Amino acid sequence: MIKDVYACNADTCPIANDAPFRRARKTGEIGGPGGGCRSAELANSSLASREQAISGWIEPPHVNLPGRALPIDRGPVHRVTMALLSDSLFNPTEEHQMLRQMVADFAVREVDPQAAEHDEKGVLNVELFRRVGELGLLGITIPEEHGGAGMDALAAVIVHHELSKYDPGFCLAYLAHSMLFVNNFYHCANEDQRGRYLPKVLSGEWVAGMGMTEPGAGTDVLGMTTTAVRNGDHYVLNGTKTYITNGCEGFCFLVYAKVEGQVTAFIVDRECPGFSTSNHIDKLGMRGSTMSELIFEDCKVPVANLLGAEGSGVTHMMRNLEIERLTLAAMSVGIAERCVEIMVRYGQDRKAFRTPINRFGQIQRYIGEGYAQTQAAKCLVYNVARDIGPNIRNRVGSDAAKLFAAPVGKQVADYAMQVMGGAGYCREFPVERLWRDAKLLEIGGGTIEAHQKNLTKDLTRALGQSAS
Amino acid sequence: MKILVTVKRIPDPDESLKFAGGGLDTSSSKWVPNAFDEYAVETALRLAEVAGKRDRLAEVIVMSICPAKQRQHVTQFLAMGADRGVVVDADDSELDTIAVSKAIAAVAKSEGVDLTIVGKLSQDNEGNQVAQRVAGLLNVPQAGFAATVKWDKNAGTLDVGREVDDGVEHKLVPLPAVVSVDLRVVLPTSIKNGVTADSHKYQEGPRLASLRGITMAKRKKVKVLKLSDIGVSSAGSEQVVAVAPPPARPSGQIVGSVEELHEKLAKEAKVL
Repeated sequence: MIKDVYACNADTCPIANDAPFRRARKTGEIGGPGGGCRSAELANSSLASREQAISGWIEPPHVNLPGRALPIDRGPVHRVTMALLSDSLFNPTEEHQMLRQMVADFAVREVDPQAAEHDEKGVLNVELFRRVGELGLLGITIPEEHGGAGMDALAAVIVHHELSKYDPGFCLAYLAHSMLFVNNFYHCANEDQRGRYLPKVLSGEWVAGMGMTEPGAGTDVLGMTTTAVRNGDHYVLNGTKTYITNGCEGFCFLVYAKVEGQVTAFIVDRECPGFSTSNHIDKLGMRGSTMSELIFEDCKVPVANLLGAEGSGVTHMMRNLEIERLTLAAMSVGIAERCVEIMVRYGQDRKAFRTPINRFGQIQRYIGEGYAQTQAAKCLVYNVARDIGPNIRNRVGSDAAKLFAAPVGKQVADYAMQVMGGAGYCREFPVERLWRDAKLLEIGGGTIEAHQKNLTKDLTRALGQSAS
Repeated sequence: MKILVTVKRIPDPDESLKFAGGGLDTSSSKWVPNAFDEYAVETALRLAEVAGKRDRLAEVIVMSICPAKQRQHVTQFLAMGADRGVVVDADDSELDTIAVSKAIAAVAKSEGVDLTIVGKLSQDNEGNQVAQRVAGLLNVPQAGFAATVKWDKNAGTLDVGREVDDGVEHKLVPLPAVVSVDLRVVLPTSIKNGVTADSHKYQEGPRLASLRGITMAKRKKVKVLKLSDIGVSSAGSEQVVAVAPPPARPSGQIVGSVEELHEKLAKEAKVL
């Protein structure tokens, strides 16, 4: 059946083996020794395929096993030993290991099957977003006493890494909510504000985001023109924020505006009069999340929604940009790692001139360099993650991680597409989507040019000769 | 009510096997929980909980026989929602089925459990003996290969549905009892505990641990016992002589005609 649809050998084609094709193939085509599945319900069930794999009716699928090592990692013993040692970098504690396993399982079971559909429609899967809340992932960095999980930046990296293997667009909505809003909000909010907003944003009932970029202020963020003027028990905001992830579905936003020229943070929600959002801004990739403008027209924001003190916005912004950049870098690692998996399998199974294409040096270059770049980015990101936290400033680390990792996702996705040729360019397969998604990481959360600027400034301050 | 669920760690069945010294070489294996034990824990949790509420109708204890320091799988099941753990500190690869069954029966007895749930088999050696032996040792009823379980609290019975070749067989077993579970027990409506609405649909498959479960897991109580504490000897009655890979499959032949095929089947393969 699948052979007709995908015009490939379903037993060997890495893409036909890829979920969700894998499921259709295994349940539809292959039965077990006991006559196969007993009912239509089971024939359509992923459990049926799992049973086949378990009881050895067919060869277990060799792709995308949640949390499993890449087949290329399953080589000789010395390789495995190396993986075990480096595991202390990627999974420093048993909790991190269990978190990775849980997110990887979740990504394969629930995120992957919906990714292509929501990419095509360009909408956020709000129902799945609430499911992320049920699993407790929306407050990953928030202390337990406030309803979060109390985990560190490295745990946040694990979640972004694993989700982005299957749906970077959905992961971006997760990032905008849990890093840009929740993590930032928690650290600058008072107890009253935490009590009013945290329960509903941690459950996912309210989708949230953050408003920083303006039509006239991007990398030069401090040139923002949105203003806030105090008037009795409220502030009056005027201005526009643009390219705001979760703008369409979001209920509340952390917004930066200038009070007498000083950048100040506020929470603005849908109940503030004068606040509105534009239509969805359509985009190339990351289409599993939405983007819109936030528009403030004499918008009345209660004084109780001022975050921290007037003029303290830059501090909040700079502190939070670090974990934002780190997790964006982790998304790039996820994209790259998935693309390596895909091209390795494709290179093994696809034949040209009667030879598997991985015998050709041209293909080997893509696979070899793609893997090496991915590993380099992964090691850098996880190493920097150890030194990011609410009480540590590490702009050099987070800028370096994103500056290096962002182009790797794009490059390795491009390699995978080149290895796959026409198949890689087609919408049937995930590589073209990952390729489109990857580009954002060179732009969002700081362009690579912004990272170069920051690094030069910070490194000159740290290492340069002091002016005499 | 107390439910004991047995869980085992096994070498990742998706990894290729390595052989050394007349046996399997698991020195570099990744260890994972046995899938059927995941189904067993899911069964116990569905029986114990009231969907959507915090109330619990039973305590779920996970038990494993493994080296005490290699009990990550037990932690994983605690993260999934089990209440506490019992670890029998022993090298399970040295124990045969009867020693394992005796250890389980001893723990079931000392904990005073009402129900023991086990996976129908472990994916490594596919023995499928533990449930039956434990029921025998405890002298309680057993129901194997459960596809559905319905708990009647007032009567103190379980109605266990088993998919057999010609349909679904139902066994009504009084508690205490031993149940082994098959794959279909984790379909959305396979378990009914009489309190959660019968129409409630669980997500298919064993549940994912929540992040809260993961952070709480290490704080849950795990009792570590030695075999000698529960009066079980590791000396068994079975012995593994050797484990070897099956012979490699010979390459196929392309025959030129039906006649040639017929001749080869008759003379070479001798199947005609």
